[in-house]
Amino acid sequence: MGDGNNRSSSNSEKPEWLQQYNLIGKIGEGTYGLVFLAKTKSTANRGKSIAIKKFKQSKDGDGVSPTAIREIMLLREITHENVVKLVNVHINHTDMSLYLAFDYAEHDLYEIIRHHRDKGNNLINQYTLWVRERNMGLSKLLIFGLARIYQAPLKALSDNGVVVTIWYRAPELLLGAKHYTSAIDMWAVGCIFAELLTLKPLFQGAEAKSTPNPFQLDQLDKIFKVLGHPTLEKWPTLASLPHWHNDVEHIQGHKYENTGLHSVVPLPPKGAPFDLLSKMLEYDPQKRITAAKALEHDYFRSEPLPGRNALVPSHPGEKVINYPTRPVDTNTGFEGTTSLQPPQPVSSGNAVSGGIPGAHGVNSRSAPRPMAMGMQRMQTQGMAAYNLASQAGMGGGMNPGNIPMPRGVAQPHQQHHLRRKDPPGAGTGYPPQQKPRR
Amino acid sequence: MAANFWNSSHYKQLFDQEEVDVVHPLDKDKGITLEDFKLIKMHMVIPICKLAQQVKVRQRVVATAVTYMRRLYTRKSMSEYDPRLVAPTCLYLASKAEESTVQARLLVYCIKKMYSDDKYRYEIKDILEMEMKILEALNYYLVVFHPYRSLPQFLQDAGMNDISMTQLTWGLVNDTYRMDLILIHPPHLIALACIYTASVYREKDKTAWFEELRVDMNVVKNIAMEILDFYESHRLITDERINAAFNKLKP
Repeated sequence: MGDGNNRSSSNSEKPEWLQQYNLIGKIGEGTYGLVFLAKTKSTANRGKSIAIKKFKQSKDGDGVSPTAIREIMLLREITHENVVKLVNVHINHTDMSLYLAFDYAEHDLYEIIRHHRDKGNNLINQYTLWVRERNMGLSKLLIFGLARIYQAPLKALSDNGVVVTIWYRAPELLLGAKHYTSAIDMWAVGCIFAELLTLKPLFQGAEAKSTPNPFQLDQLDKIFKVLGHPTLEKWPTLASLPHWHNDVEHIQGHKYENTGLHSVVPLPPKGAPFDLLSKMLEYDPQKRITAAKALEHDYFRSEPLPGRNALVPSHPGEKVINYPTRPVDTNTGFEGTTSLQPPQPVSSGNAVSGGIPGAHGVNSRSAPRPMAMGMQRMQTQGMAAYNLASQAGMGGGMNPGNIPMPRGVAQPHQQHHLRRKDPPGAGTGYPPQQKPRR
Repeated sequence: MAANFWNSSHYKQLFDQEEVDVVHPLDKDKGITLEDFKLIKMHMVIPICKLAQQVKVRQRVVATAVTYMRRLYTRKSMSEYDPRLVAPTCLYLASKAEESTVQARLLVYCIKKMYSDDKYRYEIKDILEMEMKILEALNYYLVVFHPYRSLPQFLQDAGMNDISMTQLTWGLVNDTYRMDLILIHPPHLIALACIYTASVYREKDKTAWFEELRVDMNVVKNIAMEILDFYESHRLITDERINAAFNKLKP
C-alpha cells in the first residue's frame, strides 16, 4: 500500500498509482465522496474488478476525515473472506484526496432486497427466497457502519459525529448507553435478518435531528410497538440507562397492546428462524444471543444448510438468483466530473431508454442497461458468453467482473440513474434518493 | 479481528530493540548519535502531553500519538520529518484514530500559545500535509494496543487495586512512553513490568502472584530493569544536552 511515488501526480489528470487501473465508471456517490469501478491492468490480476472509493477533501480544513481514518484502521486489521478486502490506499497530496481500493463486490444487500421487493414477491416466495439466501447472511454481510474496534471508545458513541442510520440501533444505545458492545451489533444483525424476510426495515423510526445528539424517541417507539415495552424484570439494567428515567412520560408512558414480532415477520413462531430472530432482538443485551451462539443455532444446522456463498452455486445445477449487476456511470472520471463524455440530459423516473441495440430486458435497477452489460451472472452463463476485453486472470472469484466494457468505449446511452430510486407510491418505506449504504 | 492483540498488526509488527535503535543515514550525516536520537524521541513526548492537556484529550490518545511518532522514526529521518511538526501531527492523527477528534485549528492555536519559539510556528496547512505523510509512512496501520487496558485487571487480580497502587502503576505506564518499549514488547508485559516495578518499590512481595502468571518473567523483569534505568539516567539529562541534540538537526 502507499507506493510512495505520488508527488508526481500533480501534472496529469490521473494520478500515477491510478494508472495501474482501467477506470470503468462511477458506481456510487455519497457525502463522503465517490466510488468507481476499475479493472487492474497488471498481468497477474488482469481484469480483476476493483472498487475505488475516493474521499472528498475535507472542506472544514481538517485533513483526512476521521471516518476514513477509522475505516482504514479497521480494514487494515481484518483479513477475512467475508469482509471486503482493502487492496490499496493512496493519498493524493496535491488535492488532499484519499483513495481506497477494494476488491469489488457486485451485489449489496440493499440492492438484493430491492430486487425482490420490486419483483413483488409474495410472502411465501420471499420466505423460500430467504431460506436460499440466508447463506448470504453468513457470507458477505458486512455491517460496517457500526463496526468498532475497541471495547471502550473514549467518547460516547453518539458524540463523535459518526452518522449511521438509527434503524439498526440497539435499544440500550437509544436509551443512552455509553459503551459499545458486540450485543449492539447483534441487534443490528437481527434487524437486517428481519429486513431480508419482509423486504422492508423492521424498525423504521424518524430520526430526530434537532440537537447534535438528540434522544431518538420515535425509533424507540417503533421498537416498542413491535416488541412491547421492556420491563425491569426482563431487563434489570434498564434502570441504569439515562433516558429511561429522563423521559418517563414518553418512554414509560404509553403502552402497546397485542404486540409481537410474529405479527411483522412471516415466520412460523415455533420454527428455528423465528427463534433465532427473537434471540437477536432480545431487549437485555446481556441475554441477547452472541454471534458465536447464533452460528451454533439450529437455524444454521437445518436444511437447506448454509453454503459459502449464496451468489455462486455450490454444486453444478444449483439455482442461484441472478441479481442485476451494479449500474455504472461511464461518464464520470476520477475527478468526479463528466470527463469521458459530454453530459446528457437526465431523464426522470425509471424510464427505459429506447433504441438501445440489444436491450431487451427491463432491468429492475433504476439504470437501464443493455444486455451486453451482463445481466446474467458469470457462473450461470459461462465464460464463453462474455466478450471480455481481457483474457487472462479472470478467475472464478466472487466478482467475475461481468461488465465487459473497456475504458473509453462509448455507451450507446447514458446512465445517470445511479441513485437508487423507488418507484413512486411503492410504499416500501425506503426514502427516495437514499445514500448508498457503503 | 483487531479486538485481539495477537491477531493485530501491532503484534505482527513488533520490533527488536536493534531494529529500533537505528539512526537514519540522513540524520547520521548531521552527526546525530543513537543517544541523540533517543533523547529527541524522549523529549518530544513532553510537548505531546502538554498539547493533549490543552486540547483536553485523554492519556490513551497521547500514548497512541507517541507510538505513531516512534513507529515513524523507525522508517523516516528526523531531518525530513521534523520532530517539532511530527509530534503535534501525531497527536492530531491519534485523536482521530481514538475517536476524540481535535480540530487542527485548535491544535495550532495551542501550539502558538505554548511556544514563542519560531521553530514551532506551524500552520494548519503544515499539520495537514504532515498528517498525510505520516499516514503513508505508517503504511496506514493505525491500531495500537496499550498497557492501560490490562492494567486494572492485573491490579485487581493481584489484590493491589487500591488508589495509591493504581496511581503509581498508571504513572509508570505513562512514563514507559518515554522509551521505545511500546514498539518492542506486547503491552500486557509492559503493564506487568510496571506492576512489578511498583511492587518492588512499595516493598510488596508479589512473587507468588507473578509466578502463577503464564508469562516469561525474564522478559517482565528486563522491561522493569529498563524502566529503572530510564529513571536513573533521566535525572542526569540536562536541557543543554537536549538542545545540543536538536541543534544538530538544523539544516
